Parts: sequence; C-alpha cells; structure tokens
Amino acid sequence: MTHFFKYSWSLCLALSLGACSNIERSRDLSNPRVAGATLAQQVCSTCHGATGNSISPQFPNLAGQQEAYLVNQLQNFKGHQRMDPPGPEYMWGLSRRLTNAQIEDIAHYFANQVHVARTDQTPMSKTEQEYQIGLNIYTQGIPEKSIPACQLCHGPHAKGLATFPRLAGQHKDYLVRQLHVFQETEFRPNTPMTQITHQLDAQQMSDIAIYLSRMP
Amino acid sequence: MNMSLPLESKSSAQSSHNLTSGWLLSITSTLLVLTPSSSQAVPAFARQTGQNCIACHAGGQFPELTPYGRLFKLTGYTIGERTLPLSVMASGGLTSVSKIAAVNQSLVNNTSTGLDLPLKNKQTSLDIASLFIAGKVTDNIGLFSQITHDRYSEVDDQGLNNQGHTTGDNFDLRWADQWLLSGREFIYGVSLNNNPSVSDPWNTSWAWMQYVPSSSGPGANAYLDANTPYASSGLPGDLYSGLSTYLFWNKSYYGEIGFYRSASRLLHFMNFGNDPNASILQGNSNRYWRFAYNHEWGSNNLMVGTSGMAAHPYDSANGVSSSDALSYQGVKNVGVDTQYQYLLDPHTFTVQAVVQKQNFTPSVWDATLNGNTPSTTRVSRVKFSYVHAARNGVSFANFNQNGGFASATQGNTLEVFHLPVQNIRIGLQMTFYSKLANIDSPSNANSARLYFWGAY
Repeated sequence: MTHFFKYSWSLCLALSLGACSNIERSRDLSNPRVAGATLAQQVCSTCHGATGNSISPQFPNLAGQQEAYLVNQLQNFKGHQRMDPPGPEYMWGLSRRLTNAQIEDIAHYFANQVHVARTDQTPMSKTEQEYQIGLNIYTQGIPEKSIPACQLCHGPHAKGLATFPRLAGQHKDYLVRQLHVFQETEFRPNTPMTQITHQLDAQQMSDIAIYLSRMP
Repeated sequence: MNMSLPLESKSSAQSSHNLTSGWLLSITSTLLVLTPSSSQAVPAFARQTGQNCIACHAGGQFPELTPYGRLFKLTGYTIGERTLPLSVMASGGLTSVSKIAAVNQSLVNNTSTGLDLPLKNKQTSLDIASLFIAGKVTDNIGLFSQITHDRYSEVDDQGLNNQGHTTGDNFDLRWADQWLLSGREFIYGVSLNNNPSVSDPWNTSWAWMQYVPSSSGPGANAYLDANTPYASSGLPGDLYSGLSTYLFWNKSYYGEIGFYRSASRLLHFMNFGNDPNASILQGNSNRYWRFAYNHEWGSNNLMVGTSGMAAHPYDSANGVSSSDALSYQGVKNVGVDTQYQYLLDPHTFTVQAVVQKQNFTPSVWDATLNGNTPSTTRVSRVKFSYVHAARNGVSFANFNQNGGFASATQGNTLEVFHLPVQNIRIGLQMTFYSKLANIDSPSNANSARLYFWGAY
C-alpha cells in the first residue's frame, strides 16, 4: 500500500499510452478506422444490448432487423431526416460522424444477431382479446377504412423485407409510440405509414403492437 | 456537481483561506445569457456524444443518471468524440426562513453561538458557479472535474459580510475498458478521484444524493435541504485523493474498492482552494468500498447496494499536520442504499433510500482535552420524484438523523420544478423540520427557496 499512491500517476500515464491505440474496443464515434461492429458492441449496446435485444422499450430491439432498414434509419438519423424524439435526443449525435462503411457494418452486425423472446410481457390471458384483434388487423387490414394488411409489406411472420422493418418481437411500447409518430407528425417522412395509420385509433394501435410484440 | 458536502465539510470549508474571485460568476452569467434555447445547448459531455441531456440524466434531473448515463460514466466518459471539454453552471435564488430571528435566538440560548451572519433572508442572489473540465481524453480515459465558486461560503473577520470562495469540487479521472465475454458485458476501470463515492454511478451514493446546488454559507441557506443530514463519507475535511478500482458484470453486479490519503504534493490540486490542514488522513490505506446488485427489466431498473468507509483523519482543530498518533480520529461507516427508476416517455419516476450508521472515535487528544467520547449516528433518507416529459417535476424527501437535542434532525423536503429547456431549471424547494439540532421550535427554521439553475 505504501507505493499505491506513489505510482498512481505513473499507472495512469502508462494506461493512457497503452490506451491510445485501443482500436478494437474503442468508443470513439469520430474515428473512421474503428470498425462498425466495434461501435455496435461498445456504444450501441449500452441501450440496444450487445446482442441487439434491448431491455427497455425506450430502445428498439435490433436483433435480426433488416440490414437495409437499419442502414436507411442510420442515414436518416445522420441526415436529420428522421426527427422523432429519439433522433435529437439520442441518435443524431451518435450518428453524426459515422462513415457509410461503419453504418453498413453496424447494420450487418445487428441484422445477424438472434432475436430472443422476452419473458417480461403481460400474461397472454390478460391480452387475449387484444392479441386477436391485432392479429386480424395485421393479416387482413381494416377494409372498411381502406387500411391494408400489415403483412403485405412486413411479411407473414413480420420479419420485414429490405427497407420494410422486422416487427416481430419488438417492444409494444416502442411500436405504439412509432405508430403515433407516423399518424400525428411528419417526423418520419417519405413512408407509406403516414397514410396507412391515418385512420387507426389508439386501441387498434395498441392491439397491433401487442400482437407483434408476442411474435417470435 | 457536488455542492452537497456533508455538514462537517462545509464548516471546515469556511475556515479555508479565501480566494475571492468573481470572474467565474461573471463568465457564467455571460454564457447563460447567450445560451440558445435549442437541444444543442448542453454541457461538455452532451457535446461529446451529440445527445440530449435526458439521455444520461433521468427526466432531465441532475445529477441522477439513467442506465445509459451510468454506463457512460463507467466506461470512463469515453463515448463520443473529443470536443472542447469546458462547461459552466450557475445557480441562485431567493431563500426565506420562517422565523430566522427566533432560530438565531434559540441557537444563542442553547449553544451561546448564533448564526454567523443571518443575512440573505428573502434576498435574491447568484450563489454558486462552477467551471467543468470534462470530456473524453483517449479511447479509455476520460475526465470529470469541477471547480466551484461559492459566493456566500464565508464571513469576513468583522463578521459583517459574506465572502466568496473558490475551491476544487469533484475530480474523477478514470481509465476504463469494456469486454464482451460470451455475449455478456464486462466493464472494469480505475478512478483517480478526490471524494469517496464520487466515482459511483448511482445517485444514492454519498457524493450524489442531492438537489440543485446552493450555497453552503451561513444565514438563510443554513436551513436549506442541502444542509440537512445526508449519508456521507464521514470524513471531516474537504477533499482528499484516492485511487479506486471497479468492475461491473453484465449490468448486474458492481464492486468498487478504493484507498484514500491526503491530497498532498503532486495531488494537492485535488483539494484546491481548501485548507490543507483540515483534510489530513493517516497513511494511504483509508478504505472505501461499494457493492451493488443491479437489475433492469422493461422500463424498470433497481439497485440494492451497500457501501462503507474506514478512515483515520487527523484533528484539524488541534492544528495537527504531522503524523501524531494521538491526534487521529476513527471514522467507520457502513450503509445500505437502493434506487428504483421507471423510465418510459413521458414518465420518469424514482425512489431512492439510504440508511447509514456512522461510528466516530475521537482522537486521544480530543478525548483528553475535550472529553469527547465515541459516538454512533444513524442517518436515513428517502426520496420520491416524478418528472413529466422532462419538463415538470415534483419530489418529496424525508430525512432523519438520530441523537439527542444537540444532533437530532428530522423533516421533509418538497420540491416542484420546471425545465423550460433542458439546461435551465427553475424550482421551489420547501423544507419542514420536526426536529432540528439545538433549536427549540424546529418549525421556525422551515425554509422555502425559489431558485434557478443553468448550465452550458
């Protein structure tokens, strides 16, 4: 212990010098030499989970998400085209210096993670009715309101396709929030969802989200 | 942003030599006037990550951290890019004590000493300003440091006017690394810091369980919540120097062990502006420890932890500055704390609770000359807060320190606040006493403070 403090500065200096080249575990968002997969593990993981399975519904699951969709969203955050609250609050800054190669690498990383079903959901017995309504809307739409079936774009298993995102197993609260963003704002422009959600009511949004959040 | 130093720290700070300087207040005031009302108008860390303050601070409450904010800290403040590592913060307001003259008279009757200078009651003032040097240094190293000017920390020799005082505040230079092992995150690091628990990421730790900072000076501010009992390191002086090492396993288990000594020689800057003779520890092995279990599920997160301190500070009252074995005290603290957060837009709900047992053994000199004997103090505090949309919030706290008439203090603090933009906060804090050390009618010291706070 006598030497504990005597050498503290030397230790810090040594660690500093040794740390300057820690490219494999860097959290530097302005260094184009840092691999996107490294940033995914060192930075994105803090909210979205190291395997893309996030804990909090504030942050979407990214595991198994469509790679093209992730690239598209990161580019939209970087260019400030996506303006819903997670943009200015979290993602604009984090994505501002990412290179195209890093964005593609991050997207590839999360697209290739395995989605893990959550165990903290409301018991099925309490949401059976909502689940069935959500299932009907997802598979058949609401013809009387000219709302098409969601599965036409997102696929029968909600795995998504290219820039149409995977929705299966997504957090219910996140899905509901995004449906309201589509319906009530112009924060996510250039998407058919603005039109599609126009006549959905809040309960229908919740029903769809319950159904999707329970999909494997 | 640790202005909530323990009572002992504040009193000894008043004896420190004066470094009166208004420059910090001037610069801060100017910058605050120039603060643009956009989400980009945030301090150094937010500029470093490009994120909004609420990414790291729960509901925009400072200094309470979100799960992400905790990881940002534990990974050494290294997420993001290097930017200008400077920020400023200031707070002020108007404090009113219910019957300050009666409080003063009660103190005179019971202790033969009244308030040093019962000024500032119902007067608006800019009290506190801080300069932060904070940011990413390398891929593994980051710094959080703070220098604070307290405009009302002291009374002049004539006992007529307040004097300002600029001192070192928080200092936390840390090296950290994060590994992924079989899909599980493993964070470990080393922190060189000047205050036991300042390195802790939860806000029930001694250094961080606090409200918006206010002056620790005499007068009306003496009865603000910041001067009520809080769990603390129990060290009697100001700031020290310490080296701690920590690890955080898979967002679940946290452990930290640190060793502290006097901030002398090369590390003297860590106790900048304070009286060095008031903050002397025996040797290098004054121990701090912390263990916590953290669990996150859905929008919820819960921490249950324990921490403690075992140290030997020297009597500053005897003017001892050398290794006189008859002049060192014994400080041994142990406590448990818990924090629960519910975070889902637009709601932020937090419960914090701390219970601490503080054991104090006087030095041989102190026991011989003053007749002081070993003592045990129990401090507890619980706080509930709710913030809506990171704009409007309310909190309620209960504090309790046991003991006889000369030390027992109990009461509640109620606060409402509003954040018009993320880096400006205005609020009303009211503190109600049911017991107050050496005061016959505690409710006479009930205080209300209308404050503003800003950072850039």
